[in-house]
Amino acid sequence: MHVCTGCSCLCDDIDLKIENGRISRAYNACRRGAGIFLNISSSRAKPTIDGQQVDLERALQKAQEIIQDSENLAIYGLDTTTLEAQRLAIELAEKKEAFIDDNSTFCLGDFVEMILKKEIPSTTLEEVKNNAYVLFYWGTDPYHSLSRHLSKFTYYPRGGKRQRGYEEDRFLVVIDIRKTHTAKLAKKNARFLKAENDADIIRGFIDALEGRSPKIFQKEIPRILKEMEKGGFNVIFGGLGLKYGLGGDYALLKEMIERMNERSEVYFMPAGCHPNMRGFNELLFEKTGHVNRYSFREKRSSDDFAFHRLLKNDSADTALIIGSDPLNSLPLEYAGKLSEINTIVIDPRETFTGRVAKVTIPSALSGVESGGTMIGADGSRVELNPVFEAEINDEYILKKLLEVV
Amino acid sequence: MPITPMEVYKLLPKTNCKKCGEQTCMAFAFKVINREKQIEECSPLFEEKKYANQKEKLLGLLEPLKEATETGLIVDEERCTGCANCIVVCPVHASEDPYGSGSGYGPKIEDPIYRLEDGVLKIINVKKCRRYGKNRILCVACRENCPSDAISFLEG
Repeated sequence: MHVCTGCSCLCDDIDLKIENGRISRAYNACRRGAGIFLNISSSRAKPTIDGQQVDLERALQKAQEIIQDSENLAIYGLDTTTLEAQRLAIELAEKKEAFIDDNSTFCLGDFVEMILKKEIPSTTLEEVKNNAYVLFYWGTDPYHSLSRHLSKFTYYPRGGKRQRGYEEDRFLVVIDIRKTHTAKLAKKNARFLKAENDADIIRGFIDALEGRSPKIFQKEIPRILKEMEKGGFNVIFGGLGLKYGLGGDYALLKEMIERMNERSEVYFMPAGCHPNMRGFNELLFEKTGHVNRYSFREKRSSDDFAFHRLLKNDSADTALIIGSDPLNSLPLEYAGKLSEINTIVIDPRETFTGRVAKVTIPSALSGVESGGTMIGADGSRVELNPVFEAEINDEYILKKLLEVV
Repeated sequence: MPITPMEVYKLLPKTNCKKCGEQTCMAFAFKVINREKQIEECSPLFEEKKYANQKEKLLGLLEPLKEATETGLIVDEERCTGCANCIVVCPVHASEDPYGSGSGYGPKIEDPIYRLEDGVLKIINVKKCRRYGKNRILCVACRENCPSDAISFLEG
């Protein structure tokens, strides 16, 4: 059994058929997961300096020189690599007094931070499978982002106290701005609330909890609350829709969860996508008390230290990007600047950022070619079981870079 | 889209000639969809020229029948994302493989009805399906829980 590192579910029941040293079939993985295992040899990165292919030693040496000469280093990415490599990257950032940031800044880092600071209660997916009754999917469409989330952990599986299947033992609530694929599943024993404004829905829940009639969804909200009391164990999965819908102000959300908890157990969990984003957040939190956007020089976290802001304000002279492709995911206005500064890309595959980078260093695919540990979105640690063992992986490369600082 | 007996009936000769062995054309239409009769058994349709147009339309309509399994099940792999809702929700899987697919994992039995292969749904053993055989139940649990409509049944 292998662990899929396609998303934060970290499914650990992947069966592979290996013929002549190649993966020929992937069983139990979703489309995205199977794609990772079956296409390991496509678009692999090569060691380059200024776009010219060189040998690996030369690329590593050049990267070491750049790191050594850098004054304002920014380290970014890291969400697809292992805890072991993340720890080394944080060590490198500390020694170089660098900025460090990952995708959680614009993904669900805020939610993870609230959980780590114990401002909202959270639980594990195993507990959800065994106990949860009302399941909220708020501003997220797991059918696309976390394909097996509903079938492996939440709505459909039978487990523990919930043995009678989804029709009787679960109650699904989907809150989204449009009727998503997940919302289509909200049929019998379920509700779909079309969100025009997330804060209004939260206020509706708070109103109902205080005994007033909610201003919107007058029928649905009291029914959902009644079901929550009946179930006793309920979970809210918050996605990017909820984060951006609230615009950074989570006071109402925290109040709602606190109020709900007076009547029945309600937990909050981030439904985010990157496999080891929570791992990075936890490691940085242990070390600094912040989950992302951190400057080791100033010893504080700030919006100005978010990777795109660093690029915008020309605050970094060197960027070390590990397992991420900002030129693909960030606006060109910011990411375009990566071609003007010294950029080092460590990635198993060819990326757009790699094309404009000063140095690219090919690495191994975590989970397929290199082992280690990852932390899923629920905070549980998963040991990877790689199919092959590549010598040159993120850990090896980061150790090399650490040698010179 | 499922094919309804009425759609087939409308394109049959509607003469109730009984040459196919059925009492009415409607009964024949039902059996064609259930694959108990072949459309070729309607001899007037193939022999008489006035039905040529209807025959063409009918053959086009029944084209998906060739791809369907014995239970009338069709999986459109292009639409499938491999969410496995269908595998976990299946009542047969839940009773025969409670600690595998019944609990959300990949099937732990040798011959499940469905399995994810290379990221999409593959039909492995349709004989286990409740829609198979004489005492069949028209269960639609897997289809009902497929958000992308990748699963369909001929009979609807």
